[in-house]
Amino acid sequence: MHSSSTSQGDNGLGRWLIYGVLALMALVYLLPLFVMLVTSFKTGTDIRTGSLISLPQEWVTDSWQAAWGTACTGVTCDGIKGYFWNSIKMVVPAVLISTFIGAFNGYVISKWRFKGSDLFFSLMLFGCFLPFQLVLLPMAAMLGKLGLANTTTGLVLVHVIYGVAFTTLFFRNYYINVPDELVKAAKLDGAGFFTIFWAILLPISKPIIMVTIIWQFTSIWNDFLFGVVYSGADSQPITVALNNLVNTSTGVKAYNVDMAAAIIAALPTLLVYFVAGKYFVRGLTAGSVKG
Amino acid sequence: MAKLDLIDIRKTYPKSDLETLKGINISIEPGEFLILVGPSGCGKSTLMNTIAGLEDISSGEIRINDVDVSGLAPKDRDIAMVFQSYALYPNMTVRENMAFGLKIRKTPTTEIDAEIKRVSELLQIDHLLDRKPSQLSGGQQQRVAMGRALARRPKLYLFDEPLSNLDAKLRVEMRTEVKKLHQRLGTTIVYVTHDQIEAMTLADRIAVMKAGEVQQLGSPYEIYNHPTNMFVAGFMGSPSMNFVPITVLENSDGHACTELTGSDGKAQLLALPDKLKTYVGKKLMLGLRPEHISQQLSHHSETDLISAARFNIEILEPTGPETIAQITINDHAVHCRLAPDLSITAGQDLDLMIDVSKASFFDPDSERNILL
Amino acid sequence: MPVTHTNTPAPLASTTPWQDKMQVWLPKLILSPTIVVTLICVYGFVIWTGLLSFTKSRFLPQFDFVGWRQYERLLNNDRWITACENLLIFGGLFIAICLLIGVLLAIFLDQKIQQEGMIRTIYLYPMALSFIVTGTAWKWILNPGLGLENLVHQMGFTDFKFDWLVNSDMAVYTLVIAAVWQSSGFVMALFLAGLRGIDSSIINAAQIDGASKPRIYWSIILPCLRPVFFSAIIILSHLAIKSFDLVTALTSGGPGYSSDLPALFMYSHSFTRGQMGLGAASAIMMLAGILAILVPYLYSELRGKRNA
Ligand SMILES: Nc1ncnc2c1ncn2[C@@H]1O[C@H](COP(=O)(O)OP(=O)(O)OP(=O)(O)O)[C@@H](O)[C@H]1O
Ligand SMILES: [Mg+2]
Repeated sequence: MHSSSTSQGDNGLGRWLIYGVLALMALVYLLPLFVMLVTSFKTGTDIRTGSLISLPQEWVTDSWQAAWGTACTGVTCDGIKGYFWNSIKMVVPAVLISTFIGAFNGYVISKWRFKGSDLFFSLMLFGCFLPFQLVLLPMAAMLGKLGLANTTTGLVLVHVIYGVAFTTLFFRNYYINVPDELVKAAKLDGAGFFTIFWAILLPISKPIIMVTIIWQFTSIWNDFLFGVVYSGADSQPITVALNNLVNTSTGVKAYNVDMAAAIIAALPTLLVYFVAGKYFVRGLTAGSVKG
Repeated sequence: MAKLDLIDIRKTYPKSDLETLKGINISIEPGEFLILVGPSGCGKSTLMNTIAGLEDISSGEIRINDVDVSGLAPKDRDIAMVFQSYALYPNMTVRENMAFGLKIRKTPTTEIDAEIKRVSELLQIDHLLDRKPSQLSGGQQQRVAMGRALARRPKLYLFDEPLSNLDAKLRVEMRTEVKKLHQRLGTTIVYVTHDQIEAMTLADRIAVMKAGEVQQLGSPYEIYNHPTNMFVAGFMGSPSMNFVPITVLENSDGHACTELTGSDGKAQLLALPDKLKTYVGKKLMLGLRPEHISQQLSHHSETDLISAARFNIEILEPTGPETIAQITINDHAVHCRLAPDLSITAGQDLDLMIDVSKASFFDPDSERNILL
Repeated sequence: MPVTHTNTPAPLASTTPWQDKMQVWLPKLILSPTIVVTLICVYGFVIWTGLLSFTKSRFLPQFDFVGWRQYERLLNNDRWITACENLLIFGGLFIAICLLIGVLLAIFLDQKIQQEGMIRTIYLYPMALSFIVTGTAWKWILNPGLGLENLVHQMGFTDFKFDWLVNSDMAVYTLVIAAVWQSSGFVMALFLAGLRGIDSSIINAAQIDGASKPRIYWSIILPCLRPVFFSAIIILSHLAIKSFDLVTALTSGGPGYSSDLPALFMYSHSFTRGQMGLGAASAIMMLAGILAILVPYLYSELRGKRNA
């Protein structure tokens, strides 16, 4: 494909054009992040006198401290730190539980098929496509009945229930490509259901465990719908708090604080993305492209 | 060493409306090497899986040493299986692969070590024990797969096309190796292969299957020389047996004979065994293996059932040790095996010798061998 | 000569029939909680929502059935009509622009670009963000007084006017901008994966036949990517229909309800305005929308598999 003699796209001008477009688009994608960063380090006056993309006259971290500790989110003015921890308390168990369940489900559906298991898998796939608006009202009623309304536990439960469809799909698609002979050989060696899972499949599942954990972490951390519907004042996740902070209409609009809070809210998933982007992309495409 | 009896095994897969195994009856003696052959999809792997207990049977009985094991879980049948894909546990070293089954069976560590030593030396993989399967060549993986099976000393070994992923040269080597192993250990083996030569060289007996039924069960010699029907005759041997439609005639001496018409339309007489005299006037299928049609051999005088005939050589395919020639008899393409040093060219006429004493005769409707 | 084994390994610790039965039941047992929960919390709840949509529930669920009343109200509700129209505009533009950008960038990136990894990372990072963060950022960037408009003014173009965020005719387009920014990199990744999956010998053969590069892409490669187009459209329309967080953070459906979307409509009627019946009816309409896209897709998918 690289032979410049046969393909016109490879000549000098064409390549410059391609690089130009790619670089321009890279700028477009980076611009909002850049704007958020510089704004978060500006003072209020700097924002009003400078421009969107100008660097701060004076780099200050006041808005970061405000966003973290003192900014008003609705009625309280303790910043978003509490909500950050709320999110962590919600994400960690929800990710671990849903990944664990998904691994076992995927194992059963791919390697211990029984009558009806394929049908069930198709039924469950629908759960991946369901707009959650369809279950919001009944789920609210159920959480109320269980006494879990407005609690972090309730949120964890909801995220596990609706995340399992995805985690199961991931593990199932991964294990379906593991040859059945491996399981057969282990059965003949005398291994049972759990031994085969622990000793044969789990040790080769590292990539899919990474993909699943990252996928679940990102989608639960970033969730807003379940958070805003099912959380109480003291169990709100960070996305809800950020939205409250931005829309709190007391006093002058502090865009620098908004941006600092937004970056804080985005930091964990961005970090995961930059550290383990390979798995993130694989999850995105695995969750969507068939095969 | 164990005796294995398959009694009227039937199997229908849950989602399928066809019976995959339609009543298989095979008795395998202790220490016997049984080979299953048959076209793709005829149910060989299914049969192996049912023996191993990996698939349930719909009806019938599987007996190992006269004990019915049909209801037992795979682990309780004491069977080892070698798969075409080897199915080595990718996360374990060679040593761990071989030890896995023993560990699960709670064998003491010292015994495991001794067993691994024995097997790895036997198979010459002792220098590979600490490698992962991905660091092995195909042939080495194959050895490890066999080693894993041997390490447990099961009653019965099942091999499902164990050599078919190896290249031709390695396959021949491993074939010899398997044969040696069987001779040394005297284990009972059921072995599936697509390779004719593997089947002929390894087997004590061969079972030829088609569409879930055993067509013939017999020694390699019987299968090759006395096939019970046209399917078995055509399946074994390469190039496969020639089938020529003939009409049985009676010549002036009162012997059975038939007419063979070459591509030039000239008919030549071919003597037939006298057993066929009852078929005079009937149509039959003459089955001739390529090696039963050859060039004139000086030391082979023409006897009653070795007739000479002249045919036009249409195509020549030299393979090295021999040359396969194609002629036409009774409007059917026929292959014959000629000596490689014969100086002929395609299109020439050549005197050939046809050895009818080794031929098979089939009823064209039932396709059964009428002489058996 | 056959050699008989001297030391036979210990026989398998004999298992009881009970343990063997367990092996058969275990897989079912493991899967059963998920089966039960899926049946209740997905299918049961959808049915429940369906039932609610035929009641006059307001702040609390109650089961006084009123037939199709809520649906009639919905269809006569200006805000709902606006939300649906907005969804068509937003969804249509969002999908079209994402596909266009995604395909182009993927093709460009597939030209043996140096630094491809870095560029890909840049294009895709917005996908790791919450729509709330995206909305917050763009709300600031599109701020008429201090954002982009101000920037262009400072560059000397003082006539420049960019007030889409507060303009009821244009607010819905700000959603498109932000959503495209967030998701187009992902579409690019989908197409890039598709391009990498194409057998390069096809391309080589076409080059030997003398086809030009644009022509190869147009008439050979893009048709090969048909399945990717389909799955991208499915995913993007799914995103659009569910879109709730972005509109909440960026415009809150305003000015007025000019940039409302069905998902936001459902939320506010069900949870803040005490119109649970109406909210449920709107949710069912969203389901109908998803099915209208999904069913033909699955149908063609299944038929394709059967023919293959
Ligand atoms: N799990 C299954 N469910 C349904 N049908 C099956 C299953 N496994 C195999 N079959 C069918 O049973 C028949 C026999 O398959 P089997 O694998 O035993 O053939 P085989 O003789 O081993 O073929 P090959 O030589 O290709 O390995 C085939 O028609 C196959 O499609
Ligand atoms: Mg097979």
